[in-house]
Amino acid sequence: MAGAPKRILKEIERLNRDPVPGIEVSSVENNIRYFNVIMGGPSQSPYQGKGAGGRFKLELFLPEDYPMSPPKVRFLTKMYHPNIDRLGRICLDILKDKWSPALQIRTVLLSIQALLSAPNPDDPLANDVADQWKTNEKLAIQTATEWTQKYAVDAWTAKPAV
Amino acid sequence: MTEVPRNFRLLEELEQGEKGSSDGYCSYGLADPDDVLMYNWTASILGPLNTPFENRLYQVSLYCDDNYPKQPPKVRFITRINLPGVNQNTGEVDLRAIEYLDKWKSSYTIHMVLKALFTKMSRKESRLAQPAEHSVYASGSRPPTNQPLQRSTL
Repeated sequence: MAGAPKRILKEIERLNRDPVPGIEVSSVENNIRYFNVIMGGPSQSPYQGKGAGGRFKLELFLPEDYPMSPPKVRFLTKMYHPNIDRLGRICLDILKDKWSPALQIRTVLLSIQALLSAPNPDDPLANDVADQWKTNEKLAIQTATEWTQKYAVDAWTAKPAV
Repeated sequence: MTEVPRNFRLLEELEQGEKGSSDGYCSYGLADPDDVLMYNWTASILGPLNTPFENRLYQVSLYCDDNYPKQPPKVRFITRINLPGVNQNTGEVDLRAIEYLDKWKSSYTIHMVLKALFTKMSRKESRLAQPAEHSVYASGSRPPTNQPLQRSTL
């Protein structure tokens, strides 16, 4: 597509040729910088899900000055996680001050997946969730497991509401 | 030209709104903080000094559909107001009657809509008798907030 920097085209090409295991990336029509992402919940985490497993929807956008500034990315699936807020915004250092142009869409998505395995309640975005995580981790994990089942497993097979 | 997708554009606007504007006469945010697709917004405008709107706080709702910002938001006063361009029965704003908004551009923002309404209140033609303070349009004419809609629960 005209106007898209080679760097972006290269990344897309590699994502297609050599997909990240457990992460599906697809372009959104008419905008080469805009992607839908489906991320599998990591095993041994509350986001794994039973049956078909947790599959989380995200959207990702490469701003005008990418790769000098980081991609913008957020969850569309409801998440119970101390570093993800009610609008799916993600608190992750490489999406902010720790961004480097050497990172890529691929590394960003892997880092987000890793964040699901290792919630960090000491650097919270969702304060109520972080508090729960610190005061009663068992209950927090149980809630995250329930939300995963409801919004990231069962929701895929539920009949769409009329 | 890079086109910022609707959702990321609205997230930017939300961040601006959360920071608050330096001018201090308006504020805005999501009507429902769990509205992942950010359809319903709520705003308030403080009436300009030396106008019939002075010292009154006006609540406004904005609905950004899937075509925002290519298409303008649907804007409606919740607080009753007598202002040219605002439907007297429903509070709906006809953006074509509001200076600076009559030809919508996708670069326009919620903040600019509020600013244009504030400017409209300041104009000479808007020196009109006003309904009682705090009165609101009948709730039936309000836009549905918290509607279940196509909110993604996935």
